[in-house]
Amino acid sequence: MAYKLTPLGDGVQGLFIENPRFKTTLLSFHFYLPLRAETVAENALLPYVLTSCSAQYPDFSKLNYKLHSLYGATLSTCVAKVGDFQELRLSISVIDDAFSLDDTSTVGTAAELLSSLLFAPALDGEAFRAEDVEREKRQMRERIASEESDKRLYARSRLTGEMFAGDPYGLSKFGAPAQVDAITPAALFAAWQRLLQTAFVRVQIVGRVLPRGVFERVAAAFREIPRADIPDLTQTAPATPAERVREVTETQQLAQGKLVLGFSCGQHGLDRPTMPLFVCSDLFGGGPYSRLFANVREKLSLCYYCSASLVKSKGLLLVDSGVELANADRAREEILRQLDAMRAGEFSDADLEASKRSVCEMLRSYDDSPGTLDLWFANRVADPAPMTPAEVSDAAAAVTREAVRDAARGVKLHTVYLLRPEEGTEA
Amino acid sequence: MMRKQIFTSEELGESYTLATHSSGLRVYLLEKPQYASSYALFGTRYGSIDTRFSVDGGAPVTVPAGIAHFLEHKLFESEEGDAFVRYAETGAYANAYTSFDRTCYLFSCSSRFSDNLAILLDFVQSPYFTAETVRKEQGIIGQEIRMYDDSASWRVLFNLLQAMYLRHPVRVDIAGTVDSIAQIDDQLLYRCYHTFYNPANMFLCVAGRFDTDAVLSQIDAGLKDTPPVAVERCAEPEPTAVCEAYTEQALEVGVPLFCFGYKERCDRPQRSLKEKICTEMLLEILAGDASPLYASLLREGLINDAFETEYFTGHGYAAALFEGESKDPRAVAYRIKKEVARLKNDGIDPRLFAAAQRSLYGDVIKRFDSVEGIASALVECAMFDEALFEELRILRTLTPADVCARLDLWSDEYAALSVVVPNK
Repeated sequence: MAYKLTPLGDGVQGLFIENPRFKTTLLSFHFYLPLRAETVAENALLPYVLTSCSAQYPDFSKLNYKLHSLYGATLSTCVAKVGDFQELRLSISVIDDAFSLDDTSTVGTAAELLSSLLFAPALDGEAFRAEDVEREKRQMRERIASEESDKRLYARSRLTGEMFAGDPYGLSKFGAPAQVDAITPAALFAAWQRLLQTAFVRVQIVGRVLPRGVFERVAAAFREIPRADIPDLTQTAPATPAERVREVTETQQLAQGKLVLGFSCGQHGLDRPTMPLFVCSDLFGGGPYSRLFANVREKLSLCYYCSASLVKSKGLLLVDSGVELANADRAREEILRQLDAMRAGEFSDADLEASKRSVCEMLRSYDDSPGTLDLWFANRVADPAPMTPAEVSDAAAAVTREAVRDAARGVKLHTVYLLRPEEGTEA
Repeated sequence: MMRKQIFTSEELGESYTLATHSSGLRVYLLEKPQYASSYALFGTRYGSIDTRFSVDGGAPVTVPAGIAHFLEHKLFESEEGDAFVRYAETGAYANAYTSFDRTCYLFSCSSRFSDNLAILLDFVQSPYFTAETVRKEQGIIGQEIRMYDDSASWRVLFNLLQAMYLRHPVRVDIAGTVDSIAQIDDQLLYRCYHTFYNPANMFLCVAGRFDTDAVLSQIDAGLKDTPPVAVERCAEPEPTAVCEAYTEQALEVGVPLFCFGYKERCDRPQRSLKEKICTEMLLEILAGDASPLYASLLREGLINDAFETEYFTGHGYAAALFEGESKDPRAVAYRIKKEVARLKNDGIDPRLFAAAQRSLYGDVIKRFDSVEGIASALVECAMFDEALFEELRILRTLTPADVCARLDLWSDEYAALSVVVPNK
């Protein structure tokens, strides 16, 4: 796997990730905008409207028929938070020209289709069509409500909201339901203009060969657009230690509780400087060899799952677990005790090596998946020279136990969120 | 010791080896030398539905629900220690899963393939249970069951299966119930293990970077000598009728969830590959995102992009499922029934048939980009004695009439709707 970054305009980059092993090509547009309460809901709705129809395919049945005919090309949309920025992603995955059953270029057709959705939407004057906007608003409200049904996801997102109250990162990536309600077709048109004019844009292609002319056409399209106020993606405010640990408890009619702990890490940013923190997070709560799995789950049976995840861009470490109410206090104590042990360097070389081996094995397999590679580079958009998964693997293998211990010493508890089952709730 | 067959698809540029060991174990191997990783599964045709069976022609026995899943948890432990500890030595990602009709143990790695395969072969063939370890596991699995009690998507499916099936064990949760797992002891585990973990009932599937001949020799050397056991599933007869046409549960959810299904009559225990492909196509044409039904349901605010269909079939059960979120699940079910009636009358749109055919062709090609996708497809081959490249051949020869014929198995009388509504 090799990659090449090409400037395509002011705040517009093309990245070709060459990988001859695949039979498909993945093309994606990633837009990065500042996370702001006033715009977060409009921005989030945009990619859903843009991928539901277009001037050329005015309704989704026609668009989906086209995708099915294009050998089941998959059109995907995603909204995510990358540091203090909101990322909007539109992508298409299609089988390579070699597998086409006629003379049409599958990859060329898919690239044109994706561009036309973005640059030539179905409009009604200087507004999106009311019917499309209302349909997608309803689906967005249901999407937001549906996240509440997944209690693990819900608890994690509540923790993030509480821990980063008042900080852009505390916003929900989709915005609040009332903000979704307020979006008008004209406001969405303005958001689309703002997207094309001010977002940082990364166009990525993962495949065997760089399809001819795709980057050139994207560059030409953006030359027609006045570009200004493009955000500096290196500017994300890290999580800062809390003066006093914040405690939030909520009660619902559930069989099992969810306990989520949010920690500030004292460091954030690119791969290279945070490498010991990355290994530290895995040794703390990664695979079955980790402190949390081995002790909190296996040895003490305090929860069915208990794991840690690191948000490097923000310097945030999350521990989440599914606990019985009676065990919640003990689970919390034990999680913190395991962190203390790591700060004291009380972990075996064997466990550290197991963690590093596991991380390296996983990273080495990333080259085998187009979607994983796309995500890998999109998450490192702020890095002018992103490391490849193989390079991160080599660097992780070289991390010392002292560096891991020092990284753990910077990790400080900030917020505790407990979703309690109502007492007496039937299992 | 191994009988080998090689299958090649010029069109896909792929080939795989099917080797049958003298013990009866079947091994499916597809090399992807350009890939960095490998994905391997060692599995048995033993899942949650196998609660009533006979061995070597003996009288049928019935065992408590949840043993297959319980065994999956316990096999990771042996007298020498935990398999996870051994995998920690190699760094491989390891896991296992139990479904209705199978249990699979898997690993994924980018180096030390043969060390990982040795661990896999060893721990799956080395059962070790004591009264004490079984008791501890009852606690852990109890927590797992309770976790699923809060999962609306899981509940909506199992409530439907309970509404549709009167006797078939597919109606019981894969992990069993708190009561059924309380009845499990070490002796029962050994008994089920020795019945179903016989090489003749098992398979090993690998895709990725490895050497076929080396893997075959390693398997040959690593398989324990076990005389074959003849297992027969003795499910009680399942009536055609459903138990209830509607079922509802209140949970902490933001939007109501639904699962609607047509229960199909099963005269033979297994659907053929062609029948499965035809039904998948029918579901795409009837309710896929390019269908008129999908368009009108979406326009009227009755479904959202979580809506999906599935052909749910295994030994002795088959149902066409429609799942999603809706403010009015009864209206969705009504509209599906109406559209089924219309297709029975008018036949299917040839344009949609052709598009679905191309789409499924593309899906097959895409699957060959992922070692996990290939390994999982090989497991399907092993489970149902199918050939990997057969799907492409069948797809090409299908006609709209083949697809339409599947509609005859669906009747409003044998349909059921399950709904999870928000707590008041």
